Amino acid sequence: MGKYTLIITEKPDAASRIASALDAEGKAEKKVKNGVPYYVAKRNEDIVVVPALGHLYTVASKKRGIRGYPVFDFQWVPRYLAKRGAARIRTWLKVISKLAENADKFIDACDYDVEGSIIGYSILKYACGNKETAAQRMKYSTLTKEELEKSYTEPLSNLDFALIEAGLTRHEVDWLYGINLSRALTAAAKNYSGRYVTLSTGRVQGPTLKFLETRERRIKCFVPTPYWSIKAKVNISGAVLEAEYEKKVIETKAEAEAVIDSCNDQDGETKKVALKDFQQMPPLPFDLGSLQSEAYRLFRYTPMRTSSIAQRLYLDALISYPRTSSQKLPPAIGYQATLKKLGKNREYAKLTAELLAKPALTPTEGKKKDPAHPAIYPTGNLPSKILNRAEKNIWELVVRRFMAVFGEPAVLQSIKVAISINGNRFQLNGRQTLAEGWLRFYKPYVKSEDAVLPPMREGQTVSVKRVVLEDKFTQPSSRYNPSSLLRRMEKEEIGTKATRAGIIQTLNNRQYTREERIVVTDLGFEVVDVLKKYCPAVVSLELTRKLEERMNDIQQGKETREKVLQDTIEILKPVTEQLKEKERIIGARLSQALMKARLEERVIGACPVCKSGKLVILRSRKTGKRFIGCTNYFEGTCKTSFPLPQKGLAKPSGNVCKSCGWHTVRIWMKGKRPWNLCFNPKCPLKEERKEKH
Amino acid sequence: MPIKRGAEGKTLKCKACDREAAEKDFCLVHLKAYENILEKYDVWTKALQISWREYLSQIEQNPLTGEWAIEVASYLINSEETRNVKES
Repeated sequence: MGKYTLIITEKPDAASRIASALDAEGKAEKKVKNGVPYYVAKRNEDIVVVPALGHLYTVASKKRGIRGYPVFDFQWVPRYLAKRGAARIRTWLKVISKLAENADKFIDACDYDVEGSIIGYSILKYACGNKETAAQRMKYSTLTKEELEKSYTEPLSNLDFALIEAGLTRHEVDWLYGINLSRALTAAAKNYSGRYVTLSTGRVQGPTLKFLETRERRIKCFVPTPYWSIKAKVNISGAVLEAEYEKKVIETKAEAEAVIDSCNDQDGETKKVALKDFQQMPPLPFDLGSLQSEAYRLFRYTPMRTSSIAQRLYLDALISYPRTSSQKLPPAIGYQATLKKLGKNREYAKLTAELLAKPALTPTEGKKKDPAHPAIYPTGNLPSKILNRAEKNIWELVVRRFMAVFGEPAVLQSIKVAISINGNRFQLNGRQTLAEGWLRFYKPYVKSEDAVLPPMREGQTVSVKRVVLEDKFTQPSSRYNPSSLLRRMEKEEIGTKATRAGIIQTLNNRQYTREERIVVTDLGFEVVDVLKKYCPAVVSLELTRKLEERMNDIQQGKETREKVLQDTIEILKPVTEQLKEKERIIGARLSQALMKARLEERVIGACPVCKSGKLVILRSRKTGKRFIGCTNYFEGTCKTSFPLPQKGLAKPSGNVCKSCGWHTVRIWMKGKRPWNLCFNPKCPLKEERKEKH
Repeated sequence: MPIKRGAEGKTLKCKACDREAAEKDFCLVHLKAYENILEKYDVWTKALQISWREYLSQIEQNPLTGEWAIEVASYLINSEETRNVKES
C-alpha cells in the first residue's frame, strides 16, 4: 500500500464502524499488528483507521518514581509511564507511530468534545510527530453510514486549538490539586499506621463529598417533632373515599383530638365541587444527566452503568452520542426518516405512523445547548444483534422519549371537593386524564395517577364512616442516591458530563461513602474535616466556578494557560506546607477512621445470641478460614460463630432473611449469580428445603 | 472554635464520645445535636405537654432521630446535672 489517509478514532468499535462506512463496498479489511487492530478502507483513496484506547497520554510528574509531595513539575507522557496496568499502551503507540510514517493526510475522528479533542491532539502531536496542525477534524454525532460519510467528505479544516488549550489546562490543574492533596492524605495515614491505603481527593471529588457530608451531618443531628393529621373515610354513591382535613399539619395533640371529637357521629355536606383542566407538557429530549436520572428511577441503574450502556449503544450506531448536555433536537437530524426507520419495528409501527401523520413534527425542547452535539436520539437503526436486557431497556427508553417529545400535551382534569363535617373542612381530591397526548408514547414509564371520583354536586349529604387521627413525625432530609447526587453536581456545574458518574463511584471505592442511599463514613467525615481546615478551597464551589470562568476565557483568548497554572501552584504551596507540618495529627485521625471503616464494612448486624455484641466477618489466625463471629468473643462473653463459604467474596448484604429475620451475607462467586446467604442453622426456610428434598 | 482545656491544661473529652470537647463539654459533632435537642423541646412540650426526661426518652427511641442526637439524648438521660438545669 502506498500513501494513505490516517484516521484516528477514540475507541476500536468506532474505528470499525468508520472504516466500514467509508469503504466503497462497506467491507473494510481488519488488520492486527502486535495485538493492535486497525482497518483499511478503499474508496477513491486508501484510508487507514486506527483506534486509540481512550486517553493514551496523561499528565505526570517530571521526576519519575518519587512519591512525595509537593509536586509542581509535570509533563504529558504516554499513559504506560504513569499508570499501572497500562503496559499495552506502549505497543499501541508504536503501531500508531508506524502507521503514521506512511500517511500523507491525517484526520482526527475522536468524539467531538473536550476529551475526544485532547485524545486526538496528543496522538497527532506525540505519536504521529507533530501532525496536529496539519490534521483535519471529522465532526459527527452518530455512527451511521450517512453521517460518517458526510463528516469525512466535509471535514473541519483544523482542530479546535482553543478548546484543546482549555482542556489541557483543566487536566493539568486537576492533576496539581489531585496529586498533591491525595498524596498528602495517603502519606499522613501511611506514616502514622504503617499501612498503605490510597486516599484521594480533588477539585471535583472535594465539593461532591462536602455535599454529602453536609447532608449527613443534618441527618445525624436530626430530632423529629410530632404532628398529627386527620382523614375522614366518607361513603359517596357506594364508594368509600378518603378526605383530608384542611390543615395538613396539626401541631398539638389537643387540637387534633378536638377536631376528631367534633366530627364523631356527624354526617358531612359537600360545600364546593371545583373542576380544573390543565395540560401536562411532553418531556424534554434526553441529555446525559436526564437519561441517567430516568434510568435510575426506572431500572435502578447507577449513572456509571447507564453511561457505559449508552456508550455501547452509540458504538452500535443505535443512538446518537450520549455525552451531551444538549436538550435540543435540530431538524437536521431528520425526524421523519428516523421515525420511519423505527416504524419497521412492529412495536413502534402504530405510534410512529401516528406521529408521521401529523402535519408538522416539532419537538419539545429544553434550554440547555451543547455546541458539539444535539440531545440523545435514536438513529432509527434497529438492533442487528440481540441486545441484553439492560441495553434493550436503555435503547427503548431513548426511542420512546424521542417519540414522546413530538407528542401533544396531555390534558388532565383535577377535581377538588370541599366537605364540611360539623363545620370542619375536609378536601377530597380526584384526577383524570382527558386526552393522553404524549403519555401514549411514553406509557411504560409513566404511572397513571388517575383517581376518578363519582359524580358529585354541591349541597350533597355525605355519610362519614370514620374519622382517623394519624400520629406523625417530621422526617429528616432524604439521603442522596447516585442519581440525585449527579443532579446536584449538574446544578452546581461541578465535573463534566463525562466524569460525574466516575467521581461518585470513586467516593464509594475509597470508602468515603457506602450504600445506595449514600451514607458518609467516618473516613469521609475526617477527609472533609482535614480539607476544610487546611485547604478549604478544594471543598468549595468557588474554586470550580472560577476555574470554569477561566477555561472559557482561555477559549476566548482572554486568559493564558501559564497564568492559570501559576495561580494554582501559588494556592497549593502554603497548603502542602501546612499539611506536612500537621501530618502526624492528620494521620492519626485518618487512620482511626480507616480502621473503623474497615470494621464497618465487615459488620453484619447485632448478635442474635448475646444481643450486645455485633456479628462480624472474621478470618481465623490458626486455619486462615473465613467465618462469622461475635465481637464479644474478645471480651470472653460470647462464643457465637457460624461457618461461611470459603470461596468467593462475602460481604454483609444489609438485608434480613425473610423467613427468620436474621441478617444475611451476600456471596459473590465466579460464574454464579450473587446470592444472599442466611447463616442461621435453624432458619425455617432451610428446614422446609430439607423436607422437600 | 477553641478546644476546651481542664485545670492542668489537658484537653477535655466530649460527654458523648471520645473526641475533644469544644463548647458546653461537647465536641463539634455532638454540640449541634445538643443544640437541636434543646431547640426541639419547645415544640414537643407545646405538642404533648411532656417532661424533659420523657422527651429525651421519646427521641432516644424514635427511629427517625439521628445517630448523634441519640448519643446526646442517652447521655442527657443519665445526666442529673443537665436535667436539673433544664427543669429549673
